[in-house]
Amino acid sequence: MDNIAVKVNDLTVAYHKKPVLWDIDLKIPLGVLMAVVGPNGAGKSTLLKAMLNLVKPLTGRTFFWGESYQVNRKRIAYVPQRGSVDWDFPTNVLDVVTMGTYGKLGWFKRPRKEEKEKAIEALDKVAMLSYSNRQISQLSGGQQQRVFLARALVQDVDLYFMDEPFQGVDAKTEKAIVKLLEELKNMGKTVVVVHHDLQTVMEYFDWVTFLNTILIDYGPIYKVFTEENLKKTYRSAIDSFYKNNRKVI
Amino acid sequence: MELLFNLFSDYTLRIVAFGSSLLGITSGAIGCYAVIRKQSLIGDAVSHAALPGIGLSFLLIGSKDTEWLLLGAFIAGWIATFVILNINRLSRIKYDNALAMILAVFFGLGLVILTYIQKIPNSNQAGLEKFLFGQASTLLQRDVMLMGIVALLTLLPMIFLWKEFKLLSFDRVFADTIGFSTKKLDLILTTLIVISIIVGLQTVGVVLMSSMLIAPAVAARQWTDRLSVMVILSSIFGATAGICGTLISSSINNMPTGPMIVVVITLIAFVSLLFAPNRGLIWKKVRDNKNKKEINSTIVLSILYNLGVKHKKIFNAHDLNTLMLEKGGLKYSKKNLRKELDKLKISGLVNKHGKNLWAISKKGIDKIRALDYVNGGESYHD
Amino acid sequence: MKKLIGWICILALVSMALVGCGNQGGQRDDGKLNIVATTTMLADAVKVIGGDNVNVECLMGPGIDPHLYKASAGDVAKMQRADMIIYNGLHLEGKMGDIFESMTKQNKAALGAAETISEDKLITGDSGGGNHDPHVWFNVELWIEVVKEIEKTLSNYDQDNKETYKANADNYIKELGSLHAYVEKRVEEVPGEKRVLITAHDAFGYFGDKYGFEVMGLQGLSTATEAGTADVKKLADYITENKIPAIFVESSVPPKNIEALQNAVVARGFKVEIGGELFSDSLGDPGSEEGTYIGTVKHNIDIIVDALIK
Repeated sequence: MDNIAVKVNDLTVAYHKKPVLWDIDLKIPLGVLMAVVGPNGAGKSTLLKAMLNLVKPLTGRTFFWGESYQVNRKRIAYVPQRGSVDWDFPTNVLDVVTMGTYGKLGWFKRPRKEEKEKAIEALDKVAMLSYSNRQISQLSGGQQQRVFLARALVQDVDLYFMDEPFQGVDAKTEKAIVKLLEELKNMGKTVVVVHHDLQTVMEYFDWVTFLNTILIDYGPIYKVFTEENLKKTYRSAIDSFYKNNRKVI
Repeated sequence: MELLFNLFSDYTLRIVAFGSSLLGITSGAIGCYAVIRKQSLIGDAVSHAALPGIGLSFLLIGSKDTEWLLLGAFIAGWIATFVILNINRLSRIKYDNALAMILAVFFGLGLVILTYIQKIPNSNQAGLEKFLFGQASTLLQRDVMLMGIVALLTLLPMIFLWKEFKLLSFDRVFADTIGFSTKKLDLILTTLIVISIIVGLQTVGVVLMSSMLIAPAVAARQWTDRLSVMVILSSIFGATAGICGTLISSSINNMPTGPMIVVVITLIAFVSLLFAPNRGLIWKKVRDNKNKKEINSTIVLSILYNLGVKHKKIFNAHDLNTLMLEKGGLKYSKKNLRKELDKLKISGLVNKHGKNLWAISKKGIDKIRALDYVNGGESYHD
Repeated sequence: MKKLIGWICILALVSMALVGCGNQGGQRDDGKLNIVATTTMLADAVKVIGGDNVNVECLMGPGIDPHLYKASAGDVAKMQRADMIIYNGLHLEGKMGDIFESMTKQNKAALGAAETISEDKLITGDSGGGNHDPHVWFNVELWIEVVKEIEKTLSNYDQDNKETYKANADNYIKELGSLHAYVEKRVEEVPGEKRVLITAHDAFGYFGDKYGFEVMGLQGLSTATEAGTADVKKLADYITENKIPAIFVESSVPPKNIEALQNAVVARGFKVEIGGELFSDSLGDPGSEEGTYIGTVKHNIDIIVDALIK
């Protein structure tokens, strides 16, 4: 158990009648940089949310370093998909990133110079320092993404969950995120990323999980990123392709 | 100025103005949270829902003392809020619909109760009706003291839980994941909003109270992008409306105080919506026009530049006809083109040779080069 | 689930029907005249004049403000079933104007008691617009005219009992005459410059007019208007300057307004007392002495005079 960061047992999630996740068993070792891939509606986001108690599973439990989520929650950070926030909120970039320190501060304490400096450091890592005083609605999509990443960095945790951080970002941001992931890995952190772009999986990550409501396979890329697994995961997508468009080059 | 003198010398005016300003400060500050959480109309629902609470309190306790009535109002307002916020969770009814429903049902129930009360002998029910539109001018000293206590009760938690409320309002999911009990925070914030609404009922009444919660915050948001400044500004706006509304209504006969306060704060909000720098509508229009002009002059400049690049002699002068041909889609008439060129000459970006020939200047070249979208590809060095 | 909704609907309909049928009130089919009166003053007069020949139902009980009273569906039903409606008029029952109009259109026997008084005896409201002060019952002599009108109306409608009505009315008018004399006598006790009556709203105009009092109210003719801070200031200044010893609360208006006025005066350094509670827009408790018109008028004048001569 010592080198396992996250252990998922028998996880099943259903919103209505159809299950979104079915009987997932997963063991994520310490220090891996893992992509979670699958077609749309495969339950990738739901997997993250169910592991973090944001969504109630029908059955199953998730263990973090052998304990429940509540015990180790301060060592975990979650970067959700970008859309969930009101961008017209009266706050600027530095402020948002400083919010990442609130967890460690706890109730009532105010963020001081120390916290501000941590935020500045994180902003620098994602190349957003010059935007510190911008109101957040004045940022592009990619810049917003980097701000949220900086917020997660500031939390200084051991385990990161990210939901489609590369979705719809510009090239500069993509580069910055990749650099960040490498740094985290070098620091020995464990990072789990829901990823939408198959083309870049092999380049950016070292582990991968294939998900399509059920767990197709997971493990180190050199073992698991096979044509067979790809076919199994994206089967319905491939099938409907052949159904609708018989001719293929 | 006689008005201001009266403010300090007349006892009643002093009390009413002070009470109204306390109301303005409280509702202005806490209203910011309702607005940024996009829950503005909850103020409306709570204040309308308070009516049956007032009626029932009188029926059950039999006293028309303000304290009891406000307690009833608070309980009713709280229940309404609770129902609205949870009906969304537990059923398929959307937030807006739940809000409208609860508002109407509770208010209707309140009117029914008041009508019933008016039948009871010696009930002196007339005092309860006053809660519809407020009775600001009959504020007593103890009422104002109550408002002062409420102001403190509201502002202190806001200060102590400043970062928690900001976090909760901005990104609730994140707040959850870093270990803050969003349920508890929600409860506290909602309770504070309800309390401040209830206390304001005496001054502006059930029907108008929601404006005191929303208008100062909306106005303040126009002037700043920082929450701390917004809250302070909102309180100032609220207090100003309270005092001005009181002063104005005191100098005109038959002018009710509560509604006058609401008129003032609405005016402040309108002015802010139109004239605030950056977000104001008038400001935006002015800026848009300015930008359009900028772009137009840049287009003309770039025509000169491109001509120069084409002919490999950048400082060549060209006449107006050549320029007109260059940009096929140029919407300028010759007259306007000449005007534009004159303007550019004044800025030193072009030079005029003879009567009708124009060439780009060094300064103009530097400006064009600095704009990477005009330069795109063609540089005169190639 | 659908069954449950069905039962709930049926239950709702049944209970509505029951409630609608339940409210028979004091109207009976016993050969007597069924009359609905709006205010307690009118109800009192009708009871005295009509005697055993009438059932009187009063819509607004004691302590209820007729300016703000909103008729419920039950009230309208009562008026429909009654033989006759007697109301004050001149917009006293501010929110019931439409109802009276529709009743008269339906040929229901209705009497706007105060409206029968000739216009030269009425006081005009100072907001202009042809509004008259409706509080006519504070002038006992005017009330005698109202009594005469009620008697005429009853007699016309119910010819069989017109002698009884005339006799009752004549007796009552004699009593009212003594009441009027009593009021005048008590007023003599108050020195001229102290004859100032300050109350919550402008109800006592006719009293002041007839019996020689300066009368001022915080709110206007109707309690629906809000008393502004300017009004409070004006009155407070007046009270302080003229050293008026007492101001008065009204039974049908919240005392808070007068309290606020008193505080304003005290802040100016003059101690004004609250002289007592007057019955302004209704009579006192039924069953008590003040439950009758005569009792109420006596109560009022006693309180006023006793407080001012201190």
